[in-house]
Amino acid sequence: MNNPNNIGVREKFIASAQNSKILARKCNDCNTLMLATILYCEKCHGKKFNLMEYPGRGSVNTFTIHTVPPEGFEDVDSYAWVIFTLDDILLRASGFLPDIKKPSDLPIGSRIEVERFDEKHGLVLKKL
Amino acid sequence: MENVCILGAGSTNYGKLNESIIEIALSASVDAIESAGISPSDIKAGYISNVFGVADKQVHIAPVIMSNLGISHVPGLTIESACGSGSVMFREAFANIRAGFYDCVLALGVEKITHTGTTQSTTLFSYCSDFFYEGGNGASFPGLFASIARAYMTKYKADEEDLAHVAVKNHENGLLNPKAHVRKKITVEDVLNSPVVASPLKLYDCCPFSDGASAVILCNENFAKKSGKPYIQVIGSGRGGSPAAVQGRTDISTIPGTVIAADQAYKMAGISAHDVDFAEVHDCFTIAEIIDVEDLGFFQKGKAAREIREGATSRKGKIPINPSGGLKSKGHPIGATGIGQIVEVFEQFSGQAGERTIKNAEIALTHNFGATGASAAVHIFKKVD
Repeated sequence: MNNPNNIGVREKFIASAQNSKILARKCNDCNTLMLATILYCEKCHGKKFNLMEYPGRGSVNTFTIHTVPPEGFEDVDSYAWVIFTLDDILLRASGFLPDIKKPSDLPIGSRIEVERFDEKHGLVLKKL
Repeated sequence: MENVCILGAGSTNYGKLNESIIEIALSASVDAIESAGISPSDIKAGYISNVFGVADKQVHIAPVIMSNLGISHVPGLTIESACGSGSVMFREAFANIRAGFYDCVLALGVEKITHTGTTQSTTLFSYCSDFFYEGGNGASFPGLFASIARAYMTKYKADEEDLAHVAVKNHENGLLNPKAHVRKKITVEDVLNSPVVASPLKLYDCCPFSDGASAVILCNENFAKKSGKPYIQVIGSGRGGSPAAVQGRTDISTIPGTVIAADQAYKMAGISAHDVDFAEVHDCFTIAEIIDVEDLGFFQKGKAAREIREGATSRKGKIPINPSGGLKSKGHPIGATGIGQIVEVFEQFSGQAGERTIKNAEIALTHNFGATGASAAVHIFKKVD
């Protein structure tokens, strides 16, 4: 029988992001944390999890500012694509951060938060 | 297990080509067949790598190639693994010869993309990322590698000039390659003053979008010896994977799939990185070459930038990297790139590399990956006298 936690997991991830949260899985066997879209434990390959929401706040690990954006992002004046680590847990996520014009606007370690999930721009972040 | 050899190789020019994807593919195939001195009837299977055939109105390319070579009854297989398609496909061809299923096969990579223009090409390439987390959030491929570059530069105190030295060296090599896409000498200042594409990467940190095709004929050693033609041996093959999304990697300044693939290939060949005389590596962006040469074991982590500045990877350096000009100068027709690297090794070992020949080389390595390293392959070759 299908695990109900695996059905529509992207939609659940998006629903959490709409509330400024990141949806993750915690492995029941080894406590490893992963983003909810990964269906088996990366460490012990177990398949029993608790789905858990974490506050979408964290610190910037790395980023870029696009001058030549892909299709669908031409309407944005200047933005960063950011990889960040969530507060208090060793889990990374990435998203779209508008209104970043130059690297000095976003030093490594800057504090950011998930704002929402946007159909056009994906996981939208904001600076804290 | 059969020993696997390469008996012939052929390639089109890389660049903006006017011919259709099938014409480009057939041109490289015929060159490889003639180089090997075989007839199409000797080919028992065709392995074809391609990513964006749909952009030139042709998918299911393998049987079209087989049909146009007059061997429509021969099974063909089309393989896609983004920018690593060529080497991933080569691995399958290698495995089938090694296992004894076939004695002679065609391995052909082809891409036709430049007619779509920069915006559409950038968009198509973004589909090679883990789109839910990357392309769908606005990350282009230059953007993904720019993020990797910033992480590397922060961790190891490297700078934009370090990146520029990779581009300058590869353009210098590409000047000697008549089939290279961008045959232009550039300086560190040219790179640093070129327009920013995705900070910290600038235009000259990025390889071009290219059209092109490359092909090789693989066979077992018995077939190669009977042919009476010169051949080279494939002595190592490795495949590895990395988390598809960069965010999933414990260390953003390394590509795990490269490390895994290299380890497998070195073990199969019974050698270490120190035994390699030159390498063709995946320099889609300048930062990629710096990370590659560390992950392949040529330099310690964090040390490659200085070594590259001091000339260690030039044609006369201690480990020449990308004598062909690499993706940066030779070009990057993504379905063909992995095979193009092997064509360079064949030409180097068979006296066809002209001024870019690496003197006294006997062992060469090729390294190619898809997307940001999610699918990686490493192969090792030996010159046969």
